[in-house]
Amino acid sequence: MVEALIVDLGIIFVAAGVLLFVANQFRLPTVPFYLLAGLAVGWTIGLDELLVLAQWGIAFLVFVFGIRLDLGDVQSVLRDGEIAAITQLLVVAPIAFGAGYVLGEVFGFADPLRNAIYFSAAVTLSSTLVGAGMLETEIRDNLVHGRLASSIHFFDDLVAIALLLILSTEVMTADAVASKIGYGVVLIVAGLVIYRHGFPLLVRAADGSDELVLMGSVSILVAFLAAAEYFGISIVVGAFAAGIAIRNDGTQSLAVGNGIDSIRDFFVTIFFVTVGALVSIPTLETATIALVLVALVAAVNPIVLLLAFVYEGYDVRTAFFATTGLNQVSEFSLVIAIQALLMGTITEDMFNAIILGAAVTMLLTAVARRTEEDLYSAVISRFFTEQRTRKVDQYSRVADDLSDHVVIVGYGRQGRRLVETLEDLDRDYVVIENDPALYDRLEAECRNHVFGDAMSTYPWQKASLEDAALVVSTVDHRPVSDHLLELETDANVVLRSDDAEQAAKLVETGATYVTVPDILAGEQLVEIVDALLEDETDAETLASDHLDSLAELERYGFTTQREQY
Amino acid sequence: MSQIALAADFAIIVVVATVIGILVRQLGQPTIIAYIAAGVILGPVAFDVVTDEGLVYLMSELGLGFLLFLLGMKMRFSDIQEILRPVTNVAVGQTVLQTALAFLVALALGFGTIEIIVISLATVFGATPIIVKVLSDKDEITTLPGKIDVGVLIVQDIYLVVVLAMFSADSLDNAGEILQTLAVVFAMMAFIGIFSIASSKYLLPQLFRRVADNKDVFLIVAIAWAFLFIAAAESQFDGGIEIGAFLAGLSLAQLPYSKELEDRITPITDFFILVFFASIGLQIEGGAASLFAYWQEAIVASIVLMVGNFWIMFYLIDREGFGVEPTFLASVNMIQVSEFSLIVGALAIQQGYIGPDILGYLTLMALLTMTVSTYIVANNHAIYARVEPWFRRFESEDDRDAEIATYSDHAIAIGRDDITERLLPFLAERYDDVVLIDRRAGQVESDEDEPYDYIFGDFRHSEIRKEANLAEASFVLSSSVEREVNEALLEEVDDDAVVFVEAERIDDARALYDRGATYVVMSTHLTAEMLGEYLERYLEDQSSFDETINDDLERLRRRGHEPADRMVGDGGETDG
Repeated sequence: MVEALIVDLGIIFVAAGVLLFVANQFRLPTVPFYLLAGLAVGWTIGLDELLVLAQWGIAFLVFVFGIRLDLGDVQSVLRDGEIAAITQLLVVAPIAFGAGYVLGEVFGFADPLRNAIYFSAAVTLSSTLVGAGMLETEIRDNLVHGRLASSIHFFDDLVAIALLLILSTEVMTADAVASKIGYGVVLIVAGLVIYRHGFPLLVRAADGSDELVLMGSVSILVAFLAAAEYFGISIVVGAFAAGIAIRNDGTQSLAVGNGIDSIRDFFVTIFFVTVGALVSIPTLETATIALVLVALVAAVNPIVLLLAFVYEGYDVRTAFFATTGLNQVSEFSLVIAIQALLMGTITEDMFNAIILGAAVTMLLTAVARRTEEDLYSAVISRFFTEQRTRKVDQYSRVADDLSDHVVIVGYGRQGRRLVETLEDLDRDYVVIENDPALYDRLEAECRNHVFGDAMSTYPWQKASLEDAALVVSTVDHRPVSDHLLELETDANVVLRSDDAEQAAKLVETGATYVTVPDILAGEQLVEIVDALLEDETDAETLASDHLDSLAELERYGFTTQREQY
Repeated sequence: MSQIALAADFAIIVVVATVIGILVRQLGQPTIIAYIAAGVILGPVAFDVVTDEGLVYLMSELGLGFLLFLLGMKMRFSDIQEILRPVTNVAVGQTVLQTALAFLVALALGFGTIEIIVISLATVFGATPIIVKVLSDKDEITTLPGKIDVGVLIVQDIYLVVVLAMFSADSLDNAGEILQTLAVVFAMMAFIGIFSIASSKYLLPQLFRRVADNKDVFLIVAIAWAFLFIAAAESQFDGGIEIGAFLAGLSLAQLPYSKELEDRITPITDFFILVFFASIGLQIEGGAASLFAYWQEAIVASIVLMVGNFWIMFYLIDREGFGVEPTFLASVNMIQVSEFSLIVGALAIQQGYIGPDILGYLTLMALLTMTVSTYIVANNHAIYARVEPWFRRFESEDDRDAEIATYSDHAIAIGRDDITERLLPFLAERYDDVVLIDRRAGQVESDEDEPYDYIFGDFRHSEIRKEANLAEASFVLSSSVEREVNEALLEEVDDDAVVFVEAERIDDARALYDRGATYVVMSTHLTAEMLGEYLERYLEDQSSFDETINDDLERLRRRGHEPADRMVGDGGETDG
């Protein structure tokens, strides 16, 4: 039996390896390819035993999410409470629930109410694994839409865990749900206590052995899973609480984090492939439900989110680009589905439809991301023309008689430094920025500013581009740079790129100059190293000078967040 | 989700092994002792609460598979090239002489014929988990004695894989049959081996270059590769898991990505191998009676073999002409039963060659020699200082102290980007060795004629840091902005070294200064300053601006014509 299981594992990994190779070639997200691998080899492998390993995959998936969780992040998400995330819960979830219920009634499911909940969760929640992977550069460059999407992902993940806790009741009575929530809270509190007091003890006892801290962390996971089992709540909640208990600071965390990541990757592969393998030959019912699911995720969900973002004050472009990262089924919905399957509370058709829908929507995300520019200019921008100018007019402040002025795109660290220089020189300037979080500062610190997206035309009109002498962009995002080069203006254009090669291309295409932060910084650095090694200065002076200048920057309020541009 | 209860046995093993692990850690013992002890305690010998069936058996098999995969991957002959010949001589001599000694001891102690064969084949000396762990903790793994030991262990692995293959044969009754099985196994191994070598030359470099930039895909493709070999070997003969995994690892070992992969596979191995070592104790049926059936023999054999094998090693290494001190240290490090002894024992009991009492004997011997030797290895220098006068007599004129090339007083640059790029030529002028660490595949192979040494890998992995010999570097530049990476760096680096690290946030910069960074590079600040200056120049004095940017533009144009794969890969971990 064990030999057969090893052969099964072999099949799973070889299939996954081949398909991941394909996914990597085409730069597509990996999760749907795991599911496809499962679909492809599902008929050859015995699933009962694999389900146990797959559950370890779930446990590690959530465990790592818990470890990475920064309690500060939770607070800020709960405090700021993106209106869009809540709107999505209040609008999309009921619509999806209704659709799911009707489908359940039509196809005569045993428990249409419960199946409708699963359906609704699949529609509403979006995937961090896929979304964060696709938006990686945007999140790293701290573009507004990347930040928006990732905060919604995070919110969705927290909702999913709460949902898993509630759905682990067999019968939905208020008492049962309340007791589950109670147990869940107990586990999470226990996790926090271990985080405070237990984990440092473990690290001290391990006395520098990474392996022991790693196995100790796994032991904590095992203990919490056992506790969750004992209380009869979802192991996901146990794994989440265990993740909270693990500290990810200190020097040890590096090795331990790597170790847990490797183990997670091993089991998560088994999980995703097994989920794919559980799908049986689709029936007409399955196909119908999957189709409705995909339609809701790919059409209704983005429209609601788009409107909510716009209502919140984001410009249409940013709103649209944030939504394209959010229109897919979450990996947590797969966990919800498989938990339901193990409890026997989901019908086969619904389960199949959710898995298939997940694979399809995850792939659609990748396609949408590639065509979003075209989609935006061809479709979305037409709907919001009037709205776009009104918003810009309302929030901008520009003097009428500007000429020979400098237009600065982006009000991050570099933007502020440029404004400072221009104020000192007493030259006219306009700042273009689209992040609502920076609006108050713009209002307070800048003589002229346009609140809008540099990718749209109207903000440029507003900034009187035709009379400008110079345009300086502090945003490193290729589409923005290309757009600036296409502007009809006699002004010189200075761009920014973090990649030297791209910078060279931009210069060839017509940019006056391209700032490459690392090159400028590198030049500065050579001077510093030279001075140090030639004993022209010593380490103490160097450090204390720098610390002084940092303190000065801080007085100007540069510490609040990681600002890239 | 009641199925998880199936994993209860596994859960108990993990928790108990961890608790014992923490206890023995206080005594300075390695974790392998704890894992074996956990199995003995949980199995029939003491509490009898766990069996090695179902998931536990699966996981122990996986552990063994991953262990051999990892061992194969460590067989980078380039690592021990300088001392490959002497090390091979030592390993071959050691295997023959030590097997003979074990045979004599077992014969003298009065075991049965088959048992003697199993015992003498199984008692090879030199346990990788102990030697590597203890020496790494003492930072002696790259010294000459350390290199000799690791070299011998590597060559020894080949012999052990052959022994494993032999034990997977159906019967050990007569020599003819053994030979026949061995011939079949060798033919199979040769076939798979040729395929693995061929693929490591022609197929794998291309395959892995394509996926090496994506960490997750990289790992899964490598595991898939291992399972491919496991499945191929397993379908041909029993015990194929181990041999297949070993050959799969071997074919990956010579790739430039193997260090990185090693670091990714090690935690998975740690996770499963715990179950494997625990499962040995679980197989000692018959309880304490079996474990202690031959306790006197085990003690006698342990003492005789430890002393005897020390002299065998000393003689062999000395013959190769190394100095007395490295010879003594390398020999004294190797006086414990190899973990393979237990692997062979476990296989032999499955095939029915030996009973649980013999496995008990092997387990006792492993526990005894491993525990005692850990203290000896940890204190090897102090012991040598005591006995040095007496050992001086072995000194001879032509001792060669083959110096092993390791870096020292060198410069390390982590992550190749435009910041490091500017500084590299400057460093190359000042330091004999400039080591460049980057986890993007394209960087490792390009520019062979540049005066830098490349290490492919993620700096967050300790293997990589060790390979670059971070502790002895005199200049380190990290272009990673991840605080924990830089903190780990500052922890390990020499106090006198000049350390430049990068940070994005002011708080991080402060913390890094507190931990001893010489200078914290904050590229956005430097850039913003310079940008302000440029703008001022542009507005005040256009010609001076043009002059300034001309140099920069020239540099950019040069970069634009370089091969495109220089900048491949986004989001490399060490890349800001």
